[in-house]
Amino acid sequence: MTFHTVSGRHADTGNESEWRFPLDETRRSQSLALIRQAASKKRIRHYPALPELIWSQLCFQPLEHWLAQGCTLLIAIMLSLWLRREYSDAREITAVCSVFFVFAGNIFLSHIARLFSWHMAELEQTLYLNLKQMICIKMLETGIADLIILVLFLGLTGSGDALGLGAALTYMLVPFLWSDTLYLHMLFCLRSASCGFRSLALGILCGIFALFPILWESAYQPEYLPVWQVLGIAGGLLLAAQISVLLGKIDQGDSICLD
Amino acid sequence: MPELKLDRITKHFKNKIAVDNVSLCLTEGVYGFLGANGAGKTTLLRMICGVLKPTSGEIQCNGAEIGRLDGDYRQMLGYLPQDFGYYPDFTARRYLEYLAACKAVPKPIARERVQEMLRLTGLEADQRAKIRTFSGGMLRRLGIAQALLNDPEILILDEPTSGLDPKERIRFRNIISSLSKGRIIILSTHIVSDVEFIADEILLMKQGRIVEQGAVARITKNAEGKVWEYLADQDEAVRMNDSFAVSNLKNEGAGVRLRLVSDVCPCEDAVPVSPSLEDVYLYHFKEVSEHVENLERRIL
Repeated sequence: MTFHTVSGRHADTGNESEWRFPLDETRRSQSLALIRQAASKKRIRHYPALPELIWSQLCFQPLEHWLAQGCTLLIAIMLSLWLRREYSDAREITAVCSVFFVFAGNIFLSHIARLFSWHMAELEQTLYLNLKQMICIKMLETGIADLIILVLFLGLTGSGDALGLGAALTYMLVPFLWSDTLYLHMLFCLRSASCGFRSLALGILCGIFALFPILWESAYQPEYLPVWQVLGIAGGLLLAAQISVLLGKIDQGDSICLD
Repeated sequence: MPELKLDRITKHFKNKIAVDNVSLCLTEGVYGFLGANGAGKTTLLRMICGVLKPTSGEIQCNGAEIGRLDGDYRQMLGYLPQDFGYYPDFTARRYLEYLAACKAVPKPIARERVQEMLRLTGLEADQRAKIRTFSGGMLRRLGIAQALLNDPEILILDEPTSGLDPKERIRFRNIISSLSKGRIIILSTHIVSDVEFIADEILLMKQGRIVEQGAVARITKNAEGKVWEYLADQDEAVRMNDSFAVSNLKNEGAGVRLRLVSDVCPCEDAVPVSPSLEDVYLYHFKEVSEHVENLERRIL
C-alpha cells in the first residue's frame, strides 16, 4: 500500500509497496511503556451470562442436595409404577400422588433455606450474584425438578387421561401451591431454624397441608372441581405475592441483618 | 480511582435513629470508623455495601447511585460483615472458590486468587479442613481472604480484628497498609490501636452522627489541653476515678499516676500532656462508658 503524504517516505527497499513512516525507536519504546503501565492499572471485569451463573450455583450444591433430589425422583418413579399396577381408581392415585408431590416440592425448596442460614445472607447480598438472584436461580431449579415429578406422575400413572389433564393438574397443584406458600413464609420468618434437617422437618410439617383433601371423601368428586380451581388461583396468587414480599424484604435488607 | 459520596444518609429502625444525616466523600485511602457499640457504624457500613437501604439520602459511587450501578458496584466491593457467615460443611478452599464464582471472578483467575489469599492470610495449610473445625481467629482470617478475592476497589471491613491474637492483628494491619493504594478501605472498630497507625482519616461516630473527622494528628491536636497527668495518693485516686474520665492508671511507689481526660484542669497539680487517639476516644465516649458502667452496676 502506498501512502501519499507530505511527511511520509518509502522504505529503502526499492519496492514501492513497502512504504513506512519513519520510526523514532526511543519515543516508540517510551509510548509502549506508558501503554503497558496504563494497561496494568486497568481492572478487567468479567460479566458471566445467566447459564454460567446457574452452572456455578449448581457446581457448589452440597452432595446431600443431589442425593435428596435423586432419591425423590427415584421414589416418584417407583411410586407411580406401583400405583398404576395396584390401584385402578384414578382419584385415589391422584390423591396419593398429590401428597407425595407436596413433600417432594418441600424437599427441593428446603435447599433455598441454606441461603438464609449460617449468617450467609448478609454477605451473599453484597456479591455480584446477590442473594435475590441466588434465590431466583434456586427457585428455577426447584421448579424444573417439580415439573419433572409432575410429568412423571401424570404420565406414568395415567391419571391425566382418566380424569382429564386439567382436573388432574388442579388436584395435584392446589395442595402444592398452598404448602409451598406456607413453607416459604416459615423459612424466611424462622431463619435460625432453617438449616439442615430442621428446614426439612419444617417442610414436612408444611406438607401436612396436602393431607387435608384426603380427609373429605367427596373432595375429588367432579362437582367440587370449581372449588379446587378457585383454591388453585388463590394459591397461585398467594405464592406469587409471597415470593414478591420475600424479594422485597431482601431488597430492603432489614430482615437480612436483624436476626 | 473510586469515589464514594454519602449525601445526608439517615436510617431509622422503627422509632430508633441508627444513622443520622451523615454526609461524606471518600476517595483513595484508609478510613477508620471509631465508635462505641451502637454508635451506628455497622448500619452505615451495611448501607454503603447496599445491604440496607437508607431511609433518606443517597450513596453514590463515581457519580452514580449505587442501586442503579447494581452488579457493577458489587463487583467493586469486598465486604467482611461483623457476623461473618460461612457454610461449616465447606472446606476453606471450596468456600473461597464458591465466593469467587459468586463474585464473577473467571475460573482460571479464581484458582490463583484463592491460593494467593490463602497464602496471604496464613490459611494455606488448612485449606482442605472443614470450616467448622476453624478457631475464631482462623474464621476471621478466612473472612478477610474472601473480602479480598475479587481485588476490590472498595474494601469494607466491619470489626476485622475481633478474635485475632496480637501477632495476627499486626499481620492484618500490614496487609491493609499494603493494599491501600488505589482503593477505598473502610474499617470499623472500637479498638483504637487497629486504626491509629494505618488510617489516613479517622471518623468518630456517636449516636449515628460523625462527631469528628480528620487525620490522627489533627484529631489529637483538637484535644490538646484536655488531657492531664497527676500523681495522686490512693484515696484521692479513687475520688478522681469517680469524678473524671481516667484513660490510664499506674501505681508509682505509694501514689497512683492518673491520666485524666477533662475540659477543665482537674486539680492544681495536674499537668497537661499530649493527647493520644485513645484519649480523644475517651473524651467523646465517656458518657457512653458511664452509661455502660451504670448499667453494669444496676445489673450487679
